Amino acid sequence: MFSSPTPAPGSRAIASNALRSAGLIDRDATMRDLTDKPGGRKASSKIRSHRPRLLDMKELRDPRLRGSSSAQAGPSDPLTIRGAARVKLRKSLPGAAGPGVAPRVKTKFKAVELWKEVVQKRWNPETQFLNLESLIDDELIKKHNLAPPGRGGDARDAAVIFKIASQLKPKVQTLSLADNNLQGAHLQFLSHYLPELVNLSLQNNNIRNIKDLDWLASRRGRLQHLRELILLGNPLQQQGMQLENGEKYRRDITTRFLSLEVLDQVAIAQIAFDRPGPSSTPAERPSATTFPCEMGPSFVTGVDGSIVSNFLVRFFNALDTHRSALIDAYDPNATFSFSANTTIAARARVQGFHTSMPNQTKLTWRDWLGKGSRNLARINSDFDRALKSLHIGAEDAVKALVALPATKHDISGPPEKFCLDSFPVVHGQGMGLLLTVHGQFTEIGTGGIRSFDRSFILMPAPEGSRAKLNGWDVVIVSDQWTVRVYSSHEAWKPGPMLVQALSREEQEARNAATTTAPQPSQPLPLPFDPQAALASMPEPQRNLVMQVCQRTGLNVRFSIDCLAGNGWGLDRAIANFEQVKATLSRDAFL
Amino acid sequence: MTASMAAVAPAVVKLTPSDVEIATRAADHFTRIYYSTYDSNTRLNDLPQFYRPSSSLVWNGKPFQGASGLRELMEKMPVTKHEVQSFDCHPIPGTSPPSLLVSVSGSVTHGRGPAGNPTNTTSRNPEGHPRVFSQTFMLVPDAAAPASKPGEVAKYYVSADALRFVG
Repeated sequence: MFSSPTPAPGSRAIASNALRSAGLIDRDATMRDLTDKPGGRKASSKIRSHRPRLLDMKELRDPRLRGSSSAQAGPSDPLTIRGAARVKLRKSLPGAAGPGVAPRVKTKFKAVELWKEVVQKRWNPETQFLNLESLIDDELIKKHNLAPPGRGGDARDAAVIFKIASQLKPKVQTLSLADNNLQGAHLQFLSHYLPELVNLSLQNNNIRNIKDLDWLASRRGRLQHLRELILLGNPLQQQGMQLENGEKYRRDITTRFLSLEVLDQVAIAQIAFDRPGPSSTPAERPSATTFPCEMGPSFVTGVDGSIVSNFLVRFFNALDTHRSALIDAYDPNATFSFSANTTIAARARVQGFHTSMPNQTKLTWRDWLGKGSRNLARINSDFDRALKSLHIGAEDAVKALVALPATKHDISGPPEKFCLDSFPVVHGQGMGLLLTVHGQFTEIGTGGIRSFDRSFILMPAPEGSRAKLNGWDVVIVSDQWTVRVYSSHEAWKPGPMLVQALSREEQEARNAATTTAPQPSQPLPLPFDPQAALASMPEPQRNLVMQVCQRTGLNVRFSIDCLAGNGWGLDRAIANFEQVKATLSRDAFL
Repeated sequence: MTASMAAVAPAVVKLTPSDVEIATRAADHFTRIYYSTYDSNTRLNDLPQFYRPSSSLVWNGKPFQGASGLRELMEKMPVTKHEVQSFDCHPIPGTSPPSLLVSVSGSVTHGRGPAGNPTNTTSRNPEGHPRVFSQTFMLVPDAAAPASKPGEVAKYYVSADALRFVG
């Protein structure tokens, strides 16, 4: 359905353009034989972990934590990078060979100065392009026997260079590190120093593992503006392209680099947004200390409220008692998935629900997580899981629903426990309905209570469709169910909301005001229209409801609930009524 | 990835794995840039860029219309800090390229959080602590903004946005 990515003919990739226009490139540089550079791999392979050690990052920022190297370097330290003193020279320079502190400082200082010179020489401020290709061939580097990263220099040496690059004005937009025999670990400080990089060429290096790129990945909050990346001529790319036409390789990269538009000079099929650029005009920090408006009650517009309430009553009754019947409610092409948000909410924690409510400690996430939770914040880099946990078609949707833990949504109970918003949306040639529902349910197995959010896209059920024939006015096109740790429905209680807690005096004043002027009772979030509910039901169910009404004196709403709670068995419903009738309140009856 | 632009017929179009892949990546990207923009000091100018005049928004039960309605809402919004804890995204069957249904669940801190409460606030008082938010977006292709770059399927914007504080 999406168009395929066809790189427009003649449209050249961003980095390649920049590389060419910069006029600094050595386009003929061929891939080097990696084996003829002793020391290159050895030095970098010291770092095995794929993540920067916290300590390293901390030390980079906090001069007090710097190690012995800087202590030796003293206050004139030109670069505050731990380990900068160890910037490598391929052979010891004359005069730097002697023991003691002073010559080392001199050597280090000299090396950093030399790197500054190299960076300056290879910097084109007009195109904002820093070309650090094939450093080993640089005359200056040869002359002074510097060891570039990947050719004897390690990640710290690379960090020295990246830090120098971070001080360039204007900011570096395009960086080429091509032909340097770099491994993943050499890149670990790149995003720290050049977070706003737009184009990056790592062509013809020695990057082998997809995880090495996590040093740079925007999914981990790094290089969030990267538009083009070149990995051609790395083992990762070469091996990746041999499998599945390179589809998995490209997917592994694109799921890590969310802003990427061009990979290895081929455009990526993607959806674009009008996103603000890296450096928008500076503005003032928002200063409001109150909310723009009060919490409003359930909001339903552009649709007959009874359509929404009938749908929900029937949907949740079936979900709780007879899930397979929901096959009628989903469009033949419908999409369904559920996601578990397992975080304990801050307010729920403060209020101690986990311990004060009877069955909460019995709840586990195992049944939900094991049944294909599609929380993309957790599984997004695992595309197979993202694909498998999206259920397409009514049959798949219902199959997935049936496998999930049994639930009880008390929709005929206190209405304030549910909240819904619904308004029309344009979909295709017609009008659909966006419906969001928030509430809670009891998990039958444990008796524990969970909160949920549910988002539906509904369309009018077409004449003659399975939904219509079975009494559904609307049919589900998409359904996303988020299951959360329990939070109180007080969250959506209509009325004023506070940004900060009130002081004791303010609280007392408010209490006094509310006792003298009682608040009007809140409107029902779930409007219930018995006639409409009956009208939407299939004939046999409607007859059952009428029979229960006649025999028990219960009103329509309680009759439906009683039947739904007893699997729509008339005798069971009546028997159940006889057991509990003494406890029912007056408003249960006609 | 299969070329399917040929099948523009509005009739039933089957969703392909490639549709799901593109939608999933778009939602990941969208949620990141949307909430980082929301939490930034430039939100007043930048956040409305995700919307169009026809967009419908409902913020905690209060309707707002279009990018200008959002701007009006944001003008009076305290400082926020969002943390996305879960999100999901479906290509909605029925149109090509498909519209997207994105639902997000997470926490949002307003103002200064617990640190901004009066000093005599009791430890059991939930006010000032982060709230749970649930936000649902419908993202649709902008027919008026044709693809401008190679590979770009379309430019999408927020056509519907429903938010509630839910904890």
